[in-house]
Amino acid sequence: MADTDSFLHLARPLGPAPGAQSTTAPLNVVILPQAIFSILDHSLRRNAQQERVIGTLLGVRSEDGQEVEIRNCFAVGHTETQEQVEVDMDYQKQMLALHLKANPKEVLVGWYATSAELNTFSALIQNFYGGQGDGTYPYPAVHLTVSTEAGKEIEARTYISAPVGVTMERAADSAAFIPVPYEIRYGEAERSGLEVISGAKDMPDRTANVLTDIETLERGIEEVLAMLDRVSKYVEAVIEEEAPPSSALGQFLLNALALAPKVDPADIERDFNNHIQDVLVVSYLANTIRTQIDLSNRLATAALTLGGGDGFADKQANGTTSETNQRGGGQRGGRGGRNQSIAA
Amino acid sequence: MAADLLKDSPLKTVQVEALVVMKIIKHCSQTFPTTATGFIVGMDVSSQLQVTNSFPFPTVDVPQTDGHHDSNAASNLAAAAPRAKANAVYQAEMIRKLREVNVDANNVGWYTSANLGNFVNLNMIENQYYYQKELNERTVALVYDVSRSSQGSLSLRAFRISPSFMIAYKEGRFTTESLQKSGLRYQDILHELPLTIHNSHLLSSFLHTLPKSPSQATQPPSLSTLAKQPPPLTPNLTTSLTLNIDPFLSQTSDLLLESIEAHHTELNNHQYYQRQLAREQTKITAWQQKRKAENASRALAKQTPLPEDEWTRLFKLPSEPGRLESLLNSRQVEQYARQVDGFTAGVSAKMFAVRGNLLPGVGIEER
Repeated sequence: MADTDSFLHLARPLGPAPGAQSTTAPLNVVILPQAIFSILDHSLRRNAQQERVIGTLLGVRSEDGQEVEIRNCFAVGHTETQEQVEVDMDYQKQMLALHLKANPKEVLVGWYATSAELNTFSALIQNFYGGQGDGTYPYPAVHLTVSTEAGKEIEARTYISAPVGVTMERAADSAAFIPVPYEIRYGEAERSGLEVISGAKDMPDRTANVLTDIETLERGIEEVLAMLDRVSKYVEAVIEEEAPPSSALGQFLLNALALAPKVDPADIERDFNNHIQDVLVVSYLANTIRTQIDLSNRLATAALTLGGGDGFADKQANGTTSETNQRGGGQRGGRGGRNQSIAA
Repeated sequence: MAADLLKDSPLKTVQVEALVVMKIIKHCSQTFPTTATGFIVGMDVSSQLQVTNSFPFPTVDVPQTDGHHDSNAASNLAAAAPRAKANAVYQAEMIRKLREVNVDANNVGWYTSANLGNFVNLNMIENQYYYQKELNERTVALVYDVSRSSQGSLSLRAFRISPSFMIAYKEGRFTTESLQKSGLRYQDILHELPLTIHNSHLLSSFLHTLPKSPSQATQPPSLSTLAKQPPPLTPNLTTSLTLNIDPFLSQTSDLLLESIEAHHTELNNHQYYQRQLAREQTKITAWQQKRKAENASRALAKQTPLPEDEWTRLFKLPSEPGRLESLLNSRQVEQYARQVDGFTAGVSAKMFAVRGNLLPGVGIEER
């Protein structure tokens, strides 16, 4: 990942630019993982001869415009040659309209490219996205680069741009890209998803199964054991004077240990028994209900015709319901009808 | 029967790209507790359905009354979205656009959000039926459970309507008789497909660049730095190890009770029908006997007998209430019950662990 050093921002005089310029005030960029995922996916689907692909970033902006959250993005087709660049503007506009229909709260915040390179074309596109009319004006457009070169680390950087003082003719295709800090943030809801996804990263086939609750519990416990192991190893190393001691870590561990509650064993025993009984009763009742429903259903599908039920049941070559059950239902058909109502 | 037909259906597993997982999570949790729906695109490779991208359906503006949002109406609209006409147009347009940027532009189904497994309802069936019948047989419904996922592990499941239910639903009649004939049970309505999550090469490489555990070399300068946000992708222990599942348990129990109530209503309807039917039938038999006696006396009097099938015009048998609701309801109850099972299994294990921890030696004594 890109180093998240601090960035120095210098206020600069605004140079000549087509139309009014957006501000170059510093801002924070927050990227949600699905946006990154989407960019990586797009990068995989580029045409063979294309070196980079671009797309539009959507998101929300804080009220003062100081923080931009990139929530979504979509791909935009473009062709790039030595001399010129062509972006499918119609496509971008229509796609934007389609996206806004489903996510009315999101707005255009900038664009992305899948190479770390910044060149004249980048400036041209940047000026388009930051411009008036369809662009993000008066806010600066955010440019996110995600380098996806094979064999190298994936590195993301975010920029905003400022006009540079060149002649009027060159203003459209020149811009000074100012790096801005960013962070990848995700909420509680995404955590569980990311956990499974990251679980697949060490698999040779890059797939993971969705875990059941019990498996998650098992993994959690294993994780805790590993953590305890690591901490006790560290503490031992400190005692043996092999590792440098840290008063902050010591304090932290002491705080954690102080959290262990002091309760009377009898209280624990009582509370434990009460709670486990509650839980087990709920479980028991739920299973009883399930059995009842199943029974009622079986009686409903079993042949309930009075007499002659046997022949009827035999006629149905039913693979799923067991034959014995059907016959039984047929013989006791008359009673079954009444049972059905009692059962439920 | 169902098993035989399922063999013909070539779809065996569903593979979902990480991108889709994240997009669905984002959409569903954003709109929670309103139901969220969207469509998924991808392709099928022999018996595996690969889901490679997803898009939400356009939101529908619900007329707001007195400023308070009617989430119920919005939910209903959203739940019906997958088969709405306007959305079919939207979807077609989106897919056309996607083709231009090399995304797999095949419709492979739709997704919906759920709250503690309350997804088995008529809407779901109608949507999936619409997809499997009208659009493409090889489509799935992905169900993302927002509440359950927030409780620890991701809950994303793939469902298809079983062929036997497709046939039954096409006929549209769910009477006792037809159920007996087809032997359809609530277990046969939905067929769950195993689901795996797949990462692209680039994504794996990206995930590896994210730091996992704190580096050993650096010493924290103060206590406050330790209290800061943990680095990304640390396992989520607070939710997977929490003992406090009572809210989930009680909510599921509430839902379970609701389902039972619905089941009772269905049953009462059916009993009412049966009583009505019996009453009508006794009337008919009485009439028939009367007519027979009359005919006998007429025959003695050498008169032409009166027609004996006139009762079909005179009496009207009540129509049987559909059994579909109760079928779906049963399936829903099963779903809830299994959920309770899962919750309690987890929590009792955790509780024994806690007791063993707080009262060392108790467990050993018992052994």
